[in-house]
Amino acid sequence: MVEIAEIAVSAAELKLGTEPVAGASVTLSHAAPRARYSLRARDAKVLSDVIGRALPGRIGDQADGAICLGPDEWYAILPEGTAMPRGEGLPVSVTDISSRALGLVLEGPGALGVLSSGCPLDLGKMAVGRATRTVFETVEIIVWREAEDRWHVEVWRSFATWLWNAFLAAIPGAHG
Amino acid sequence: MSGFRLADGGRIDRRTKRNFTFDGKARWGYAGDSLASALLAQGQMLFGRSFKYHRPRGILGAGVEEPNALVTVDRGPGRVTPNLRAPSVALHDGLKATSQNRFPTLKTDLIAVNNVLSAFFPAGFYNKTFMWPRAAWEKVYEPIIRRLAGLGDSPTTRDPDHYDATYAHCETLVVGAGPAGIAAALEAAANGGRVILIDEQEEIGGGALSDPAQWAWLAEASAKLAAMDNVTVLPRTTAIGHYHQNFVVAAERLTDHLSLAEAEGAREKLWRIRAGEVVLAMGAIERPLVFEGNDVPGVMLASAAKTFALRYGVAVGRKLVVMAVHDSGWRDALALHKAGVNIAAIVDLRRDVASELTEAARNARIACYQGYAVTSVSGGQAVKGVTIALAGIGKGQQLDCDAVLMAGGWTPTVHLWSHAKGTLRWEERWGAYVPDKTHENLRCVGACAGDWDFGKGLSGGLLPAPKPLHESKAFVDFQNDVKARDIGLAVQEGFRSIEHIKRYTTNGMATDQGKTSNLNGLQIASGVLHRPVTEIGLTTFRPPYTPQSFGAILGHHKEALFQPLRKTVIDDWAAAQGAVYENVAQWRRARYFPQGSEDMDAAVARECRTVRSAVGVFDASTLGKIEVVGPDAAEFLNRMYTNPWKSLEPGRCRYGLLLGEHGFIIDDGVSARLAPDRFHLTTTTGGAARVLNLMEDYLQTEWSDLDVWLTSTTEQWAVIAVQGPKARRVIEPLVEGIDLSPEAFPHMSVREGMICGVDTRLFRVSFTGELGFEVNVPAQHGRMVWEAIWAEGQKHGAAAYGTETMHVLRAEKGFIIVGQDTDGTVTPDDAGLGWAVGKKKPDFVGKRSLSRPDIVAPGRKQLVGLLTDDPQAVLEEGAQIVADPNQPVPMTMIGHVTSSYHSATLGRSIAMALVAGGRDRMGETLHIPMPDKTISAKVVAPMFYDAEGSRLNG
Repeated sequence: MVEIAEIAVSAAELKLGTEPVAGASVTLSHAAPRARYSLRARDAKVLSDVIGRALPGRIGDQADGAICLGPDEWYAILPEGTAMPRGEGLPVSVTDISSRALGLVLEGPGALGVLSSGCPLDLGKMAVGRATRTVFETVEIIVWREAEDRWHVEVWRSFATWLWNAFLAAIPGAHG
Repeated sequence: MSGFRLADGGRIDRRTKRNFTFDGKARWGYAGDSLASALLAQGQMLFGRSFKYHRPRGILGAGVEEPNALVTVDRGPGRVTPNLRAPSVALHDGLKATSQNRFPTLKTDLIAVNNVLSAFFPAGFYNKTFMWPRAAWEKVYEPIIRRLAGLGDSPTTRDPDHYDATYAHCETLVVGAGPAGIAAALEAAANGGRVILIDEQEEIGGGALSDPAQWAWLAEASAKLAAMDNVTVLPRTTAIGHYHQNFVVAAERLTDHLSLAEAEGAREKLWRIRAGEVVLAMGAIERPLVFEGNDVPGVMLASAAKTFALRYGVAVGRKLVVMAVHDSGWRDALALHKAGVNIAAIVDLRRDVASELTEAARNARIACYQGYAVTSVSGGQAVKGVTIALAGIGKGQQLDCDAVLMAGGWTPTVHLWSHAKGTLRWEERWGAYVPDKTHENLRCVGACAGDWDFGKGLSGGLLPAPKPLHESKAFVDFQNDVKARDIGLAVQEGFRSIEHIKRYTTNGMATDQGKTSNLNGLQIASGVLHRPVTEIGLTTFRPPYTPQSFGAILGHHKEALFQPLRKTVIDDWAAAQGAVYENVAQWRRARYFPQGSEDMDAAVARECRTVRSAVGVFDASTLGKIEVVGPDAAEFLNRMYTNPWKSLEPGRCRYGLLLGEHGFIIDDGVSARLAPDRFHLTTTTGGAARVLNLMEDYLQTEWSDLDVWLTSTTEQWAVIAVQGPKARRVIEPLVEGIDLSPEAFPHMSVREGMICGVDTRLFRVSFTGELGFEVNVPAQHGRMVWEAIWAEGQKHGAAAYGTETMHVLRAEKGFIIVGQDTDGTVTPDDAGLGWAVGKKKPDFVGKRSLSRPDIVAPGRKQLVGLLTDDPQAVLEEGAQIVADPNQPVPMTMIGHVTSSYHSATLGRSIAMALVAGGRDRMGETLHIPMPDKTISAKVVAPMFYDAEGSRLNG
């Protein structure tokens, strides 16, 4: 019989870093705490009136932190503590999900390489200011290109530890 | 000793020596050598033993098509790679290579007795012989076959290397960097788009690397590509597969060509490339010829000998005979002659060969035998000479030589084209299939498109011979030891399609995938069947193009990064308390909190008693949560769940039961109406994503008219369950703005307010049967609130409890766990939850199925309680149940145990089970046969504690 070492899939502990990690061409850090809302409506105008904010109309566009994710769906990343009317009784859904996700920031010429290591989209072609929901390997994320070399990544809280470490693993292979 | 290093020539660096070992013996070569060229230069002709007959074998090809020279490279513990092709292994200092498939040594192989007895091991031998007697299979045949089967040894230790992976995008991807590929890349790059050029070899150039006349051009083109910003050149990278919409997967070998000391970073990198256009420039592979003795070490492809001489400066022998049916053999012979290699003769089956070739050969004083064929090869572990005969059947004539070069024509490499579902057309001029049509933005250029001038030739690889086919040892597939006569036998056995012939003979299988054998096999079958090749079919090429390491395919998904392990915000606290965990879906959950030397049973018993007598605190954060919002929210839930939701008042909760269209339970959970248009749903931990997807599916496809939207809030809320008679006293001092009195805040209700200064959705619910609350707070505050509750709980003797205690407490109350007490075939009535089905509701998901004949038929398995006659006997979950333990085996099984625990509260064991007609069996004694004994148990209602529910009020 061939002895094969026991497979330890989830026994190994990963830690979510707290301090920024700088690689040769990219720095990984935490974004500041934010308020987050899931905004849904068939008619953007009704929703826009309820929350008193303009909403981008094209999927992937972002305006003042509100990202259009789908035909009836927006995701707002706003300064911490921002409150929002819920629009009771109206055909809208305003749901506070401030705590659901964490924001990670990849910054530097190698940031695109780190993201591309696990994200199948052609992010190099994404215009600055645009954002989209996508995946990094098996984990759902929202990617927002804040500047040429600065990417804000939203990830559900319990996946953040894995994503942080997956980014770290990709940093050495990513070149600016 | 046969091969030797030529005095000059080649792309090797003769100033830099490389030391390595082969089968433990010290050897050396030059920088730029492959393992094969370095060994050939030192006279090594024997490289391996064949798979089935253990025949001695040498080098056949100079690239990935090599079927014989498979080696294992040992880079230290966990870094042993079998089945590498010696011509594709770059030489580096300290390389440790060993031959394979030999016992005990390459020169003296005992299993070669198979070869002597080969007449008794024809194709299909294994299929026929090892069938009888049946009992011998497990004890005799399988262990022996297992020892002999397989190529190389599997690794037995962990791979210490790590592997990189990435996605990449380009407008043009060129696979293969020979002259045609380089030209295509330069042309595409000039248009400004992103270009990726990949090639499997150590350096780009392809066939040009074996043609010194092209080296100046190659250097210039390489420099030009390197200087372009929009071009990525990836040598040592193999495109292993083409998938839909020009998605090409390639593996780049980053460090295997370096000594371990020089190797830094990841070993390999997986490139997942999406390309606008894919240009395949994969070239063509020369075909061997099929004749008696064509596998003696020293018989190889003419193109290989040319590559060894011109690229590596190695002559494969001192006196070579070329056996050609194609002009390219003459061209290669002349190129070798020019490089200083002694070509004694060119034998060509064709009488007519272009005069410029025959004249050039005569001028080079090479003897030419036109209309002749090699009919046998003398020599065992190395070629000593050949016999040739006019038309293969005339009088034999001996020629001395130490190497034989075969030039059987060329096969375009259409593997990736075929992965992409591109069709092929038979090209008579090539005697091969060439690319035809594709629906992808994909094209072939150069030799793989059939667009290359190798000259003219015959298309059949089987040479005429004096012996009948069934007596000859002429090999078609060298790796799998398939002889021409095996294909004849397959046809004789009645196989007509090449797909069947392949599987019967194993022609074209294993690591080689028929790169050199496919077309010869096809043409021999065509000859035996007297049918054109195009009517016999072609086997399908599948990825990977060449064998790949699992590491490259896994990329970063290794060890801790294998998949995400989800933890709640309270996980760190539990870890500090010494919690023992279990994994539930992707979540890690605290199973129990042992104190001192407690084992699980002791810890769970203490936790259970503490909840029932005082209070317990439980992290329920992993529960799936969905916020359902919109004017049609109640209507939507009414259609999804079995029970009525429209009448539920804001501030109240309801247990929801979710069925599939099949009428079986798929999920459940307690949900709350926060406002007329807003619900807070909960699902099972494992069902969260599935339930959200199911609901979203119905909304988008069936009920797109409803104004209601779903948002996953699983991770928005940390959930702290506080359960037990003292639960209210624990949270009371912490809560603001909510009247906790039983009258103001009854069981199954929800309130919004503050706890510890942060917003809370406070549920009064119980999965334990005790007075209970579930404190929902935004996850970022979860740890703080947990600690505050914990501190307050200490004044009341609280214990933290885990999932195991949660399971026991709910079982004492007969509450089901979906997926444990149900298995996808359990209806609400089966589970005793008929009360949760709204009888007056016009419809809900699964309603129609609940009236199917077999769903309403008597005798279905129903959930019941079981009390063992021996109160200390704890049944095994999953154990089968029988009515009569004395019936003969196989017994009629009438159900199985779904949940079973020792209950500290009751001082005895309890169990739940699904039993046929269970509710009609109350009071009956049933039997649970176990390996060592049979346990008897009485059927009772699945409610073991506080049936009247008085404890809900504390």
